[in-house]
Amino acid sequence: MIFPNMKLKNQLALINTLSKILIILIAVFILPLLVRKISINETDNQLTDKLDQIYEILEDDGVEVFIDIESDILGYGSYNILKEEYVSIEVSTDTLLYEYIETTQRIIDDEILNYRVISATFEYDSVIYLVEIGHSISSIINFEKELREFAFYLLILLLTLTIILDLSIVQILLRPFEQIIQKLKTNHHPSSFDYTKVKSSTSDFKYLEDSIHQLMKKIEIAFNEEREYIGNISHEILTPISIIRSKLDNFSENTTLIHENSLKIHEVKITLGRLTKLVRSLLLLSRIENNEYLVNKNLNINQHIKIVLEEINERFEVKGISVSTDLPASEYILKGNAELIHILFFNLLNNAAKYTNEDGCVIIKSYERYNQHIVEISDDGVGIAKDHLPRIFSRFKKFQKGNNSFGLGLALVKKICDIHQIDIEVKSQPNKGSTFKLIFPKL
Amino acid sequence: MRILIVEDEKSLANEIMLFLSKEHFNCEIALTGINASELLAVNTYDFVLIDIGLPDYNGLDLIKEAKDNDSEAYFIVITARGELEDKLTGFDYGADDYLPKPFSLLELHSRIQAIARRKFGHIKPTITFGNFEIDINNRSLKHKRTTIELTKKEYDLLSYLILNRNRILDRLQLTEHIWGNFFEEDYDSNYIDVHIKNVRKKLSKFDNYNWIKTVRGIGYKFVE
Repeated sequence: MIFPNMKLKNQLALINTLSKILIILIAVFILPLLVRKISINETDNQLTDKLDQIYEILEDDGVEVFIDIESDILGYGSYNILKEEYVSIEVSTDTLLYEYIETTQRIIDDEILNYRVISATFEYDSVIYLVEIGHSISSIINFEKELREFAFYLLILLLTLTIILDLSIVQILLRPFEQIIQKLKTNHHPSSFDYTKVKSSTSDFKYLEDSIHQLMKKIEIAFNEEREYIGNISHEILTPISIIRSKLDNFSENTTLIHENSLKIHEVKITLGRLTKLVRSLLLLSRIENNEYLVNKNLNINQHIKIVLEEINERFEVKGISVSTDLPASEYILKGNAELIHILFFNLLNNAAKYTNEDGCVIIKSYERYNQHIVEISDDGVGIAKDHLPRIFSRFKKFQKGNNSFGLGLALVKKICDIHQIDIEVKSQPNKGSTFKLIFPKL
Repeated sequence: MRILIVEDEKSLANEIMLFLSKEHFNCEIALTGINASELLAVNTYDFVLIDIGLPDYNGLDLIKEAKDNDSEAYFIVITARGELEDKLTGFDYGADDYLPKPFSLLELHSRIQAIARRKFGHIKPTITFGNFEIDINNRSLKHKRTTIELTKKEYDLLSYLILNRNRILDRLQLTEHIWGNFFEEDYDSNYIDVHIKNVRKKLSKFDNYNWIKTVRGIGYKFVE
């Protein structure tokens, strides 16, 4: 985690760039120094050679060629025209013999010049002489400066080129990785996962993909087992219920039954009906959780509400509840599952009918707000106590004593909203009524 | 009419046979898929009732097999398994109707009659009571020459009661018939009463006889 929250691609590019800048900085500073060192070494060698040459001349011709003590010529100096080099011999006041090389400045014709100078003393006829040979190093300094500039620009150019190259290569190398991620992101269910392999030359990605595929297969198997399990439970419970039901049907065909017994059979049937409903609701919940419902049909929501309303109208009628609707012929289309959306509104409207008092009123309206389709179902019924509000969508939560529901209706509503990405909000006050607000996903 | 009941639960198969025999159907039972396959190969049936959750055979394959052998039977699928998937594939395989377990035997009978009416056409399409005449094919009700407007649910209830005349239909059966058996949990609710009240009102404009009797605490009965 050197750079938190960055794409690998960018991290690599950044590390690359930083390391290259470091190399360039080192190169720009070290390279000229190195060149200088080499040049000075070379100059030093030349100077030593030249000193040897001077010694040879002295040996052959004597110091008198340069200096004649008797004529009071105590020093000799010679410069070449461009002051590149000079040689000087003079009588030294030192008594020690030495030889050293140093970089030093000399003032020649009112001009300060940098020289590499070899200074040496020698004894000739009992007199100590000092010989100096200088070589101008201003060319070296200039060269160093130019080299530094050149190196700087060249390296910047190289840096730019390599970064571009790096980026595009990294991009190409990471493409399979991005494709793998994309596949995972767009997949909604393991059973519809696309197992075709992504083309990649990187073994790490192949390994990653293989691992993902193995994991997906495991999940798929688990899903299928779960589905099978749900199916089996359903079969095992519903078959005995079916046997009891048909036996009761045949039994109540008996016309000699007294009314009291018929009533009892009817009560058993009703109880059996509730048991069936319970099993079916639980199955439905599991099926939704198991993603067995395709959410891919274009549904006109307001149209669906009208159909459901038509279907259960008598529930309002029987209690004298007035229903007012404001459902404009909206263009809003939801990608969803018709059966589930039907159940969603059925449960909400059925609740409204159930929990509204005789002669009460229910308002169903839809409108657009901030580009979102909103449906509100309000009643002036019994309402929900504040303490209960956070738990109304939980399974088997019943807040009304003595009614026959299982408390699965709203759990189903919530589940259906979740898989359709519908937000559901509830406002309620006891004895004043409840409002269920559905906020549909943006188009 | 000849019916083959393919159901591995012997007890359920017997109850179905008992009921349908009383309605003058000639029933046979196959307790296994293999047995059913053999029977379908040698006999001709008008209806085949298939539980698609057979342990030894996929019921849907059985339909396909029969259809491949030019069977002219009508297939009604019974299932306790998937509500949705099987329904779709069932119709793809050529099933003519579909009933989820548990179902009412009256409902099964009514589905068989509906298919028979649609496909064979030899059952009389009109039923008369008093001066009323109900046309099953056109879903219409007339008194002498006057057409009486009924809502879809009113018609469904009335025709269901008439087709089961002199038989008590309880609220559960009536509810399942008009809403299907999925949503309902308040079977003992009085929503049915609203429609019955409306039907009675419409009929009473033409004569004073109370065709639909209330059976206290249970449901209704159509009597002549």
